[in-house]
Amino acid sequence: MGLKQLNPMNDKIQNLVVVGGGTAGWLTAGVIASEHACSSGNPPDGFQLTLVESPDIATIGVGEGTWPSMRSTLLKMGISETDFFRECSASFKQGTLFTGWQTGAGNDTYTHPFTAPHGYAETNLAPHWQPQRDNINFADAVSPQSSLFSGKLAPKQISTPEYAFQVNYGYHLDAGKFAEFLRKHCVEKLGVVHIKANVTGVNTADNGDIASISTDSHGTVAGDLFIDCSGSRALLLGQHYKIPICDKNDILFNNSALAAQVPYNGDGDPIESCTLSTAQTAGWIWDIGLPTRRGIGHVYSSGHISQERAGDELLSYITATLGAKASAGVSLRKVEFSPGHRTKFWHKNCVAIGMSAGFIEPLEASALVLVELSAGMIAEQLPASRAVMDLVAKRFNEKFLYRWDRIIDFLKLHYILTHRKDTDYWRDNCRQGSIPDSLQELVTLWRHQSPWHRDSQHVDEMFPSASFQYVLYGMGFHTRPNQTVRRSELTEQKIADRLFQENAARTQQLMASMPTNRDLINKVYTYGFQKI
Amino acid sequence: MSNYALLSKDHHSGLKIITDRGQAYGDNVMHSMTFALEFRDIQSCYPIFFCKDEETGTFYSTALFGLEQDHNLFLSDTGWDATYIPLTVRRQPFLIGFQPAPENGETDKKSVVSIDMDHNRANKESGEQVFDSNGEPTHFLQSTIKILENIHRGLEHNKGFIAALIKYELLESFKLDITLNDGSKHQLQGFYTIAEEKLHKLDGQTLGELNVDGYLQPMFMAVASFARVRTLIDKKNALLDG
Repeated sequence: MGLKQLNPMNDKIQNLVVVGGGTAGWLTAGVIASEHACSSGNPPDGFQLTLVESPDIATIGVGEGTWPSMRSTLLKMGISETDFFRECSASFKQGTLFTGWQTGAGNDTYTHPFTAPHGYAETNLAPHWQPQRDNINFADAVSPQSSLFSGKLAPKQISTPEYAFQVNYGYHLDAGKFAEFLRKHCVEKLGVVHIKANVTGVNTADNGDIASISTDSHGTVAGDLFIDCSGSRALLLGQHYKIPICDKNDILFNNSALAAQVPYNGDGDPIESCTLSTAQTAGWIWDIGLPTRRGIGHVYSSGHISQERAGDELLSYITATLGAKASAGVSLRKVEFSPGHRTKFWHKNCVAIGMSAGFIEPLEASALVLVELSAGMIAEQLPASRAVMDLVAKRFNEKFLYRWDRIIDFLKLHYILTHRKDTDYWRDNCRQGSIPDSLQELVTLWRHQSPWHRDSQHVDEMFPSASFQYVLYGMGFHTRPNQTVRRSELTEQKIADRLFQENAARTQQLMASMPTNRDLINKVYTYGFQKI
Repeated sequence: MSNYALLSKDHHSGLKIITDRGQAYGDNVMHSMTFALEFRDIQSCYPIFFCKDEETGTFYSTALFGLEQDHNLFLSDTGWDATYIPLTVRRQPFLIGFQPAPENGETDKKSVVSIDMDHNRANKESGEQVFDSNGEPTHFLQSTIKILENIHRGLEHNKGFIAALIKYELLESFKLDITLNDGSKHQLQGFYTIAEEKLHKLDGQTLGELNVDGYLQPMFMAVASFARVRTLIDKKNALLDG
């Protein structure tokens, strides 16, 4: 109790060290350096951000899909969207098309578009859509975006300014090129110091903090705050501090992936507008269209299917979508992971971002957005001194543990509404014991009331209630009609009818005016986007 | 649709071009492309704005004749009521293009004139003769070629002009709310104008460089031309009142 004497001179946090140079490392460095101006002088003269990257370890290159949040992240870093498209083989991602998740039949599809239902700030269209659910699917009734998917149409035109849109979008990108692109920007424009060296040891201070790291070719690198972006090895938070992993394999079974890069058959082949997510017997296949190639992979549960059979399912998907020639030429890369996250992410003066913090199947592309959010919170609340760091760390841990729980709930939701009974995988996914209580409670509640703003406990909730609506009603979920006549819904009926009509008109208008993804990306290469 | 053909005395010996102004000849347009070298003449009659080419998203400067699509407020049954008509209007139905001219050197190019044979101005009955009885270009064609060359020169110069506007972030989008005499409210949108405050804040060296390149004066001409919007509103009101 009582006032604690601090040493204001040596206590400042102004020397940050990022360990690891994959997408997570460079994205973290870029987000922080776009907020805090790096000084050319050495501390204590000013803020400095150093990234130590091993020249020997290849980046794993996970996360080829982003959320729309990446647009503002890039914009804030001062990146030209045109340069980003030209150098990262980027394409537009407007959401996800799920195939085979509900029944496994051929016509079993639904979409999760990035654009919220029309008029969502004020009006909940879900109860008004329910009576006409046999005539039109939920996503088409409330948003124009899914209609663009089938035409492989873009979310904007060449005359739309950079980062602006007609309908909301994120990106698909080449993770290797993206890391290199960010590195150049961080070093050349944002003053980040880049050290190429292998970390050989961690040197501890008296209070248990990391004082410095030793490297093989660059001596010791001291810092006030160390950010562990070293991937699943988790050099600092895992290997040094031994912070355990909270395993989630009992909820989300997928723990293996086979990944392939598949060329198009022709240069002019259409580029998909969304991630294709196609359910298999014990997992699902992602299919991501870049301008240069497709990234296709099978993420599955090794407890339910052998690697060989998983590979066969992947190859037959590639054969069915791109032809036998494409499937004969692919080489498959195996990735194994333990779904889960660290029990805490910030310990002492070390915080983990990216795969060092946790890893989960890429069903809703949560990897890169977690990096953006983590780096964003560090940038925003960068502790002024060591004394307040523990308080910021506590907040950070609470926030991101909550976020991981919400991600896990939301991913699990995709599985538990299925009617598939064809394999143990789908049956096990619906087992009560595998479903978190928090999710079970929500689904029980949603049988009587549709998801709405009241379901968001935090202002910065990762998945808004709109996302839950898209998945629930896409999967054929029924919210029962009201027990009572609700006056509020009666008065809203007229508004809802108008919103449905406006959405239909807007859908027509966009279908007629949006270019294809391929055409627009070619124009970006030739002319670029304007800034205004 | 357009149907462009290379102009030649063999194929177009009897060709005549109608030079009257009117809706039938494609003059009922809201705006037409212009360029910095023409701004002095344009600003005496029309507001100068900037807009994007729909196909490329790139900016071009344009002279505004009306407040809505396909309506030129300067055009009436008696013609085009203005002291100056922009070159990109007067060039119709001709276009200038360039072909390699290896006879003059490997990289040399020569200008060629094309004509839109589907344009209502092109006919054999009335208007200005293009070639005389000897197959030589008439005075009309010679002056048209001069217009085309001026346009070409102007558009080349304008590339640098637009690039400078973008480099110094001098373009801004704007919306103009207009209330007409009958009380109806309209909004002019989709156009960009020069950000006057930013222009005033440029440092001396930048202003000097813009001046040397011939970009500074047209910037101020475009700013001043904004006053011509009043002319358009007055003409629109006159139509309502009339």
